[in-house]
Amino acid sequence: MPFNDYDADATELVETYDFLMKYIVIGEAGAGKSCLLHHFTHNSFKDHSQHTIGVEFSSRTVKLGEKRIKLQLWDTAGQERFRSVTRSYYRGAAGAILVYDITNRSSFLNISRWLADARALASPHLVVVLVGNKSDREEDREVEWSEASRWAAENDVHFLEASSLSGENVEAPFLLAARAILLAIESGSLDPEKPGSGVSYGDRALRRVNSSSRLSFGSLSAGRRRGNVKLRSWDPRSKCC
Amino acid sequence: MESATSSTTTKNPISLRLYKVLSTSFDDHGTREALQTLSELYGIAPANGETVGGDGVEGEAYPGEYAAKTRRNLRRDMENKLANGSQLFLTALAEVDEKLNDLQTHVKAMESACADAETQLASTNEASKVVLERAGNLRDERQDVEDKKSIISLFLARFTLSESEAEAITSRDVPVGPRFFEAIDKTERIRQDCRVLMAGEDGPTKAGIDIMASTSTHLEQGFDKILRWISNEFRQVGKDGQLDVMPGMSECILRLKKRPELLTEALTILSSTRQTSLLSSFITALTRGGPSGLPRPIELHAHDPMRYVGDMLAWVHQAIAAEREFLETLFMLKGDGRMVGSARDFESAKGEEEEWIQELMDLAVGKICVPLKNRVLQTVRSQESSIVSYKIANLLQFYLDMMRRTIGPDALLTKTLSEITDTSFTTFQTSIEAHSQGISQVPLDPDDPLLTPPHLILDHAQILREIMNVYQSSVLDDEDGPTTSAASSFDKILDVVIDPVALGCIAQSEEKMRLRPKWDAKVYALNCLTYFQGLLEPYPFTRAKQDQLSKVIEGRVAELIEEHFLDLMKDSGLLEVYIVSKSPPPNEPLSRHPATEPPALLAALHTFSLFLNSPTIVHSPRLANLTHLSLASTIHRAALGRVAKAYGVVCSEVMKEGNRYEAAATLLGSERPFGRVYLVRQIFGMEEGEESESEEESGEESGEEESGEEESGEEEEESEEEDGKSEGDEDDAADDDDDDEEEESEDDGRASDVPVSRPHPVAAGSSKRLV
Repeated sequence: MPFNDYDADATELVETYDFLMKYIVIGEAGAGKSCLLHHFTHNSFKDHSQHTIGVEFSSRTVKLGEKRIKLQLWDTAGQERFRSVTRSYYRGAAGAILVYDITNRSSFLNISRWLADARALASPHLVVVLVGNKSDREEDREVEWSEASRWAAENDVHFLEASSLSGENVEAPFLLAARAILLAIESGSLDPEKPGSGVSYGDRALRRVNSSSRLSFGSLSAGRRRGNVKLRSWDPRSKCC
Repeated sequence: MESATSSTTTKNPISLRLYKVLSTSFDDHGTREALQTLSELYGIAPANGETVGGDGVEGEAYPGEYAAKTRRNLRRDMENKLANGSQLFLTALAEVDEKLNDLQTHVKAMESACADAETQLASTNEASKVVLERAGNLRDERQDVEDKKSIISLFLARFTLSESEAEAITSRDVPVGPRFFEAIDKTERIRQDCRVLMAGEDGPTKAGIDIMASTSTHLEQGFDKILRWISNEFRQVGKDGQLDVMPGMSECILRLKKRPELLTEALTILSSTRQTSLLSSFITALTRGGPSGLPRPIELHAHDPMRYVGDMLAWVHQAIAAEREFLETLFMLKGDGRMVGSARDFESAKGEEEEWIQELMDLAVGKICVPLKNRVLQTVRSQESSIVSYKIANLLQFYLDMMRRTIGPDALLTKTLSEITDTSFTTFQTSIEAHSQGISQVPLDPDDPLLTPPHLILDHAQILREIMNVYQSSVLDDEDGPTTSAASSFDKILDVVIDPVALGCIAQSEEKMRLRPKWDAKVYALNCLTYFQGLLEPYPFTRAKQDQLSKVIEGRVAELIEEHFLDLMKDSGLLEVYIVSKSPPPNEPLSRHPATEPPALLAALHTFSLFLNSPTIVHSPRLANLTHLSLASTIHRAALGRVAKAYGVVCSEVMKEGNRYEAAATLLGSERPFGRVYLVRQIFGMEEGEESESEEESGEESGEEESGEEESGEEEEESEEEDGKSEGDEDDAADDDDDDEEEESEDDGRASDVPVSRPHPVAAGSSKRLV
């Protein structure tokens, strides 16, 4: 199972962290954004979920390689009537988790609009991960993996399918985004020192070290290669959960 | 031989002797040795002649001579030898004796020496005993001292701080860290232990007091150091835009809890730092935005009020979340796993930390309130569109609700938001009220013949529609539907938006009718009212207002039915007859009354017959102007129903004996519908019983029915005459008008059961009460 190695790393909840990243979770109403987030932060499926009112916040610290990353997660309401409220939260987000429902084609058709919104309103280096949620309901599938994957490639976003019911791949999108952001930091295209980037250093000491040398992510590059290989080899049909 | 001789020789002593000698063997060892010794003594004479020859024996003169001589001298030789030997012994012994004497002397000397030594020893022994004793005592003492020493050092180790620990506490060079905290921990443990010790029966000991004093100094210094350090840290917190808890901070806070005054001091510093830095980052976000202008400054969107206000509030919301997380980490509160957006329980008992967190949050965010309030209010006040101001007010309300749930109803921000929200709602209401009032004051165009609501009202309604749309999709609207307070506040809006305009419509229409009497004010007003009702219909939350409007409309409809009924009666020529029949003069039969004299009655019935044939029955041109078609038909049918009933009243009066009509049945039967009410109903296309819904006097009806049935034989013939008699209609109509006036003058004195065609003052009054 690809990404399983994340689980071992990420289950540990830690207090201190090396980076702080702001994410927004967006997508059509009913796509399962809150459930996905709930599973990610509470490790359990949220039953009888209500529509989100406006915006809700939660956070979780994950480990990626040797780095501890605190994720500030802003869960937005998908309903149109909250658009004016939720749009204000895109500001300065480093990552966006764009969720659609694989059993609901209309939730997929609108993702372009969501992506455009996010790109326009959030940080310029916004890392977007497209998540096809409810992958446990294969029999009701309305959006093919290949189609979504193609769209993701065309729009330069990461893509995977997840299930907030079974928990499959629930952590992967968050970690994928975190990894991409760390790579951007490593490559110098993103500077956590600047406010509004959506990322900041956690520990002041670390900050000093990092500002003098950018080589401190050595372990990360290795991780990236590993990750890329997995992403390519990953076939959504080979579900084993 | 022995055996032979034994018997003979046994008793012979000689033989015995002989035997004995003979049998003696000299071969034994002793003998041989003795012989040996002898031979040595003599045998070797030549060699040692002097030994034996000394006796004067010199060389043997014959063999054996020597031996014989020797044998003789043996004894003497032996004795000589013995004597010599003894001599030798004596000499030797004398020597020995001499030596022994020497020895004895020595021994004696030695003995005395020994005695001396012994005495000395004894005395020494005596003397050393004391020393030994002392040594023993000393040894014991030393042991004691050693013990004490180890006890003391243990005591000291336990009850005093080591050099390095003291340094860790007092020195500025040692950073606040694990070492420092360990030292502090130890100090506290010492004090704890010491307190226990001093609580003993003997009361406080000096050492105890000393220890307490010195540790107290150290502890104070330690706390001072903590305070210094954390104050310094707190001054730095968030300076660079990051809000993180330095390692050690939480530990310090935890320790400072024992010194509330110090904690307060430190937290005051933190609070002021946070206030300043939150304020400045808010201002930065507003005016400068992110690095290199991305994300853009919030004020860049000030032209888009919704976005501007929304962005500001969202920024505040996010700042609160970060602040809350920071404080939770600082106070080492475990997150309760709650989403920040979801409700927090404010009623349940909260810890000291929670109280601190809330206070700090409140203070930190409180500073932002001022600029936030200024900007929002400025935006609110500058809005010209009531829809936008309504949207803003709703957005504010949404955030107010959220803050109420997350930071509590008593937080400064919540209060500020509440204030802003109220102001913006008030602003909105004032503006929409002014707008509504303005519209209600605008006089209608007297030359506009149309009876439909004018553009001004349509525009106003459009605004209302949008406001209702905003409300319906409003962020206030939970899954469970709007809260009662919100619903009631919307009722207020509806009151403000609809009532003045509705009243204005009525008033203005009456005004216009005064100028243009032919213009149908009633229909116009009803059109306006039904238009508003239609507008509200899709919105379930306007139920109350709809009901209110329905009541007004019902009243207006009832008026219109009355009017229409009178119009129809006029058209049908039955009006005067009906009025007289309904309240017959007491002392005069109807047949003598000018309006109901048989010829007049006949004429009226003729007109009525013609009326039944006219298109008015199917379609009323006046009511056609009602935009609400089903309402028009309802009014029409209700009026027709009453016409049918009125006909019934007339018939029954005519048939009464007391009214002295000659051939009453023939009179009625002369014209269609021959005095039969059910026929009228049929012509009107009414179902049996439909009428009875609106009628009170069902008793009369049954009587009418009977009378109608009696004359059923004649109806067919006379129905064919209808067309021929149409010429008389005009005269009748003229008569009707005159009679009308008569009736009105009569009515004034009586009960109001006879309707009037003028606009009813009560109706206008009733709609006014609606406000």
